[in-house]
Amino acid sequence: MKKHIFLLILTLALYSCEDVIEVDVPTTEPRLVIEASINWVKGTPGTNQIIKLTTTAPYFNDGVPPANNAQVSITDQHNNVFHFIEDSDTGIYYNSNFITELNGVYNLTITYNNETYTATETLLPVSEIEFVEQNLEGGISGEDTEIKPYFTDPVDEENYYFFEYIPNIPVLATLDTFKDEFVNGNLIFGYYVEEELKPGDEVLIRSNGVSKQFYEFMYILLQQTGAAGGPFETQPATVKGNCINITNPNNYPLGYFRLSEVSEVNYIVQE
Amino acid sequence: MKIRFLCLLLITGLSYSEIFAQDKVTLSGIVSDISSNETLIGVNILFPELNTGATTNEYGFYSITIPKGTYNIVVSYLGYTDISETIILETNLSKNFSLTEALENLNEIIITQNVEKLNIKKPQMSVNSLSSNTIKKIPVVFGEADVIKAITLLPGVTSAGEGSSGFNVRGGASDQNLILLDEATIYNSSHLFGFFSVFNPDAIKDLKLFKGGIPARYGGRVSSVLDIYQKEGNSNKFKVNGGIGLISSRLLAEGPINKGQGSFLLGGRATYAHLFLPIFDLENKAYFYDLNTKISYKLNKNNNVYLSGYFGRDVLSFNDSFKNTYGNSVLNFRWNHLFSDKLFSNLSLIYSDYYYGLDLGFIEFKWNSGIRNVNIKYDFKHYLSNKINFQYGLNSIYHKFNPGEIEPSNPESGINAQKLIDKYAFENAIYIDVEHKLTDKIMASYGLRYSTFLRLGQDELNTYENNQAVIYNQDLQIYQKAIPIGTDKFKRSDVIKSFGNLEPRLALAFELNPSASIKASYNRMNQYLHLLSNTSSPTPLDIWTPSGKYIKPQQLDQVALGYFKNFKENTYSLEVETFYKKVKNRIDYIDGADLIANNAIEQVILNGEAKAYGLELLFRKNLGRFKGWLAYTLANSEQRTPGRSSFEPGINNGDWYKTPYDKTHDISITASYDLTKKWSFNVNFLFQTGQPITYPDAQYVYNGINIPNYGLRNEYRLPAYNRLDISATYTPKPDKNKGWQSEWVFGIYNAYNRKNAASISFKQNEETRVNEALRLSIFGIVPSISYNFKF
Repeated sequence: MKKHIFLLILTLALYSCEDVIEVDVPTTEPRLVIEASINWVKGTPGTNQIIKLTTTAPYFNDGVPPANNAQVSITDQHNNVFHFIEDSDTGIYYNSNFITELNGVYNLTITYNNETYTATETLLPVSEIEFVEQNLEGGISGEDTEIKPYFTDPVDEENYYFFEYIPNIPVLATLDTFKDEFVNGNLIFGYYVEEELKPGDEVLIRSNGVSKQFYEFMYILLQQTGAAGGPFETQPATVKGNCINITNPNNYPLGYFRLSEVSEVNYIVQE
Repeated sequence: MKIRFLCLLLITGLSYSEIFAQDKVTLSGIVSDISSNETLIGVNILFPELNTGATTNEYGFYSITIPKGTYNIVVSYLGYTDISETIILETNLSKNFSLTEALENLNEIIITQNVEKLNIKKPQMSVNSLSSNTIKKIPVVFGEADVIKAITLLPGVTSAGEGSSGFNVRGGASDQNLILLDEATIYNSSHLFGFFSVFNPDAIKDLKLFKGGIPARYGGRVSSVLDIYQKEGNSNKFKVNGGIGLISSRLLAEGPINKGQGSFLLGGRATYAHLFLPIFDLENKAYFYDLNTKISYKLNKNNNVYLSGYFGRDVLSFNDSFKNTYGNSVLNFRWNHLFSDKLFSNLSLIYSDYYYGLDLGFIEFKWNSGIRNVNIKYDFKHYLSNKINFQYGLNSIYHKFNPGEIEPSNPESGINAQKLIDKYAFENAIYIDVEHKLTDKIMASYGLRYSTFLRLGQDELNTYENNQAVIYNQDLQIYQKAIPIGTDKFKRSDVIKSFGNLEPRLALAFELNPSASIKASYNRMNQYLHLLSNTSSPTPLDIWTPSGKYIKPQQLDQVALGYFKNFKENTYSLEVETFYKKVKNRIDYIDGADLIANNAIEQVILNGEAKAYGLELLFRKNLGRFKGWLAYTLANSEQRTPGRSSFEPGINNGDWYKTPYDKTHDISITASYDLTKKWSFNVNFLFQTGQPITYPDAQYVYNGINIPNYGLRNEYRLPAYNRLDISATYTPKPDKNKGWQSEWVFGIYNAYNRKNAASISFKQNEETRVNEALRLSIFGIVPSISYNFKF
């Protein structure tokens, strides 16, 4: 919240200007990056799942390299083992017989370059997106397109959400985290604002049920991709997820092993 | 050990002076300006034959006890003509002086009167005074004279950057500055996110900034004390002055009450609303206003009362979707009473309040937070003899903290109203300061402050296993919030946690010759309040929190050593100081700590430490048409938060890292030149090492976005900051002393239009999707014009 407000003020401040400059940044040895996101969209079988493995790269490089030839598997609490197989050398690993179980506990094991990485996480349910409201004169400026997916937060538990807003126009997807601390048990909404979005454009809205640990991970990660380094930003730092390197703990991986139930809506912006 | 030594000194000092106080007489009184009757602070009353003297206090009062006799007496003050007369002292005498402002006569080459003499003899070091005239002459952005901007031109003081609140003293954080306006604490010193400070220069009489060797009468913050006094108001005549600028206008009226028995002052300042309207086609408002008031009344020769107030608000709003209001309010009643011509007292009752409110219509919630306190202070100045003076007193503050309150902003909102648990504390101190002339060459000032802090009962307080609110997850190698194992409930009168600390202070001056001296000082101070802020520079939204069960008070130890010299009959002066300081229990935050709307702030805080050291140099030219100063600071400021056990790495691997306000080199030059009676020119030049920042050492892709991966903290720096400002003042009728008098001030801020980086951020370009380093620069070249008047 703080971030948005101060960004706004700085942007509006008289005479301020932002320009791209050349900076010599340091480089480090590559690390494994694990994007193991098991998504079970409501109403689908959830049997087809993918895991992406990449490594870090120097900051100004064009793209990041895939992590090839890893052994990837997930084990559920009934000792079913799901092997993920790499599609040629893309770093994308597939499984087509995954069994999803709400509140089930899963273990991830990856062996890459003779080191073994593990993680444990629970597949968490999510409330269904009930309806979507839009406002073409929204946002703080009153000129942007504002979209609000509404859902009812369960009253009996702490809930954490991860929202993805993926428009079909060439702007970056917006990611957001949300917790029910101040809205527990109520009909509430996610909030997406994009000035480029016009009537007729489509936005894929996904609400993922996530753990508190993922919420905290993603919260810091998003803070650092915004305007890290700015005067009103928190100290940037390495963001560690829930995966650990059991062979060599110092060579810790980045990324996260997440399992979510997903409520998905493809929304077309109305006149 | 140190404390025992001090007590010993105190006792010997007392008995020593009592014995010799027999056949002496006391001269005391008030020194004021002849035309406005405004009392003057820091006026020197000198007895050249005795090589001794006195200085007026914050209320213009002086007192000195010397042997009976006939003496020459010289009363001198910056910007005023000296009074020199012979005085016969047979009995105790009360004598007031009225000084006449020195009119600069440019036909003569040297203006001897207009000098801020460096005090060689006094043990007080690491202090800078600025008068409101000096502040007004310094060119600043938009032509608005500014107190905080002026003090950042002094050695050892830096600003957190353009567009950020606060200032940093000797590598300290900005929440470590005690800012007093007429003795009342000001919690946020800036308007519009630091573009302006909250002090209206027209209403200010005098300010002092203590950077080290801080006397025992001050406490509660560890870095510095900025002590600002408002004018009392003209008790001779009704006067108005004001100014019209590009951004704001101000107006101040002052005048006598009951034929000069009292006086009033009422000043207001406001920016024009819709500050950003010309640029953005939005319905928006961004403005601030503030109001300074003061009423002084002389009940009789021995009693004066003062009522002063300050009220300021910033307002920022866009459509109905966003509204932000914040500011300080202060109300202060004081009673000066002379028990005798040697014993001056002041009783203050002070109320201060800081409010922050936010209304976010677009996500349907309202927020407010703040701090409020009531303060009672009773201070005595005891002018025992010309060798020894005492200051002692006591101080109690009752604090109430509102960490935040959330409300739905409309009935349909999905927000549940929630009040974060209020916190209460009681802060007390007693102190004694002794100024002692040990020999003709050596003066000492020593003191002791005993401060206590009682954290009072609140509705609920979490308890944790092993009292650890933060745990280290060894598998994931991260710090995490501990889960409370229960809550304790308290009555308001309960004391949850109490602290008590002795704070010794010591300063020594050794006079090498009449124009040079060496001074040394040591001070220990405690700070019980912490500003929760994990951003590079503080924001108005930041919340104050008290020490307690999980947060320890900060404790500072500082030593400083300095050399002071006046040259060529006080035309030039040189001050060289070095300092070293250490702060224990400086709080640091675990990665990703959310500090706003957090009911269990202890879960994201670790106790660390900070240290800073440096060398400061101030060279001034005090006299002549050409005046000014050169300030240079070479400094280092670092902090670290090691792990609490060998299994924990601490923050940043437990290594020392640069604080965001570490500036290796800091040079500022301020100069003024009086060309003719009508025209005068001012120039500022600043050069500072860039602020430390963290660069990414790698990138990776997660969930479709590029993520910068950051390594160790603050290992890189922004490009060096430098800037030149110039201004010219044109006074159409300089000889006019009555009726409408006016001046025009033309200024250029950042004259060579340097794009100084306020920050560098690393982001993925929205369109090209390529990673970029973006430099944010706030002010390019800014011309300004303002018109000031008085009648």
